[in-house]
Amino acid sequence: MKGVMVTNNYRCLEKWEGRLRIDYNKEWGYLDVLLATRDYIHRGYFLLTHPLAGSVKPNQTPFKSVILAEESLEGAEEFRDLALIEESIEAYRKFMKNRPLPGWPEQTAEDFRTIDLSLMEGVMSNPMMNRR
Amino acid sequence: MKLELGKIYISDVQFAEKTYVENGTLYVCKAEIERLVLEDERLAGARVELARPGESVRISPVKDVIEPRVKVEGGGDIFPGVIGKVGQVGEGRTHALVGATVITCGKIVGFQEGVIDMSGPTAKYTPFSQTNNVCVVIEPAEGLETHDYEAAGRMAGLKTAVYVAEAARDLTPDEVVTYETKPLPMQIAQYPELPKIGYVHMLQSQGLLHDTYYYGVDAKKFVPTIMYPTEIMDGAIVSGNCVAPCDKVTTYHHLNNPVIEDLYRHHGKDLNFVGVILTNENVFLADKERHSDMVAKLAEFLGLDGLLITEEGYGNPDTDLMMNCKKVARAGVKVVIITDEFPGRDGKSYSLADAVPEADTMVSCGQGNLIVHFPPMDRLIGTMDYVESQIGGYAGCMNEDGSFDAELQIIIASTIANGFNKLAARTY
Repeated sequence: MKGVMVTNNYRCLEKWEGRLRIDYNKEWGYLDVLLATRDYIHRGYFLLTHPLAGSVKPNQTPFKSVILAEESLEGAEEFRDLALIEESIEAYRKFMKNRPLPGWPEQTAEDFRTIDLSLMEGVMSNPMMNRR
Repeated sequence: MKLELGKIYISDVQFAEKTYVENGTLYVCKAEIERLVLEDERLAGARVELARPGESVRISPVKDVIEPRVKVEGGGDIFPGVIGKVGQVGEGRTHALVGATVITCGKIVGFQEGVIDMSGPTAKYTPFSQTNNVCVVIEPAEGLETHDYEAAGRMAGLKTAVYVAEAARDLTPDEVVTYETKPLPMQIAQYPELPKIGYVHMLQSQGLLHDTYYYGVDAKKFVPTIMYPTEIMDGAIVSGNCVAPCDKVTTYHHLNNPVIEDLYRHHGKDLNFVGVILTNENVFLADKERHSDMVAKLAEFLGLDGLLITEEGYGNPDTDLMMNCKKVARAGVKVVIITDEFPGRDGKSYSLADAVPEADTMVSCGQGNLIVHFPPMDRLIGTMDYVESQIGGYAGCMNEDGSFDAELQIIIASTIANGFNKLAARTY
């Protein structure tokens, strides 16, 4: 399975580089990860993880990771992924309009990286990710 | 499966040399609890403080809230697979110290957990301003990794609750409530004329600080299953979720699930409550597809006429909620969803991150974006050092006198998405 992880969390890069392709950019914000994800979907990739994974809202965490693949693992309806990513971008804009992301101290930022990493760990340890 | 829940009503909590209940007052031994909690080498500090209704006390950041319960008759232990041995629960007799709780608090991660005010204008948003709370403030051993600290904090609360609940074992309850659900064919035959109703209970299962345990099993690793409703009353489900204070389902809320409580209240009158379907809210979309298929399959298998669905959290779980709703409806089962909303401060944005046409009947548990004012309190249990970075707080929200402004979502259980609160939204 040809997968790609789109992320701005360097701890995901450190942990899984070599295991699957990591599209990492440290300059990206949460929205940039969602937009890059949308580009992949338009290029024919399928979402493997929910773009709004995690209960921390888009105006709370600076970090976001999404996994996609060239093949779908489920018989999802056509345009499901596009609808999901657009709804996620819309949700991002709603929360940011309400209150922008604070400038977190490094320790807090690290906690957010840990949470994001943990959300991806649950997926990366899923046996379905071993399909080749 | 039949469970007698013996309720011992607690109206006060005090420190004493030993832990016992007398005339509605819970006496707890502070030293004994602190010793018990510090048996875990992952914790360096434990301090017990008490908070009673009406006091000028603020508790923050709150991790979990637990009602003390003890298994008196029937098999199994409270919190099976987590504190107690793995074994079937939900049958026999259980005693509960109703009106008392154990609350764990302390810093776990920078963005923290929620707030409980025991008095003042914000007290009405949380049920725990009305309970007598044994608060355990924990501190981690130096260098402890976040996952380990979360686990240690979770266990500290459960251990304390089990310890306190022993005081209820030999008491005569003030009230005994009997709940019974029969095996499916017998349950259907008992009220053949009434609609067969089920409940889909979605458990938070996304990862660190977003986990839930069923008989000790990490909920992200199970597939949907059927549960007798009484199992949950004996602690079959334990919360490991501590990210969104307003709508997280604490262990207390699992023990006292209001949907189950109300369905039993209507059981045999205007509906036939046949059982609970448990499912999860995973990050992996293939899991969502498989598990929503299975939820619909189980609903059909049970022969349900209608069901209620509750979720825990916002965003990713909204997709599970909608997939469950859609597939269950397409299986011919009428469905009502119960959730809270995040429509922005003006209330004008979409309040859920996902939607399907089948989700046409919803009970709202309120919206978390409303700003409320928190006046200063005389006593603080825990710390307010992180309020600006707690969910619902913001930079500059804290004032010098100890007062602050924050979104309603900072208050524990203020918009809890199973209806154990007093907020709602109505369409006119």
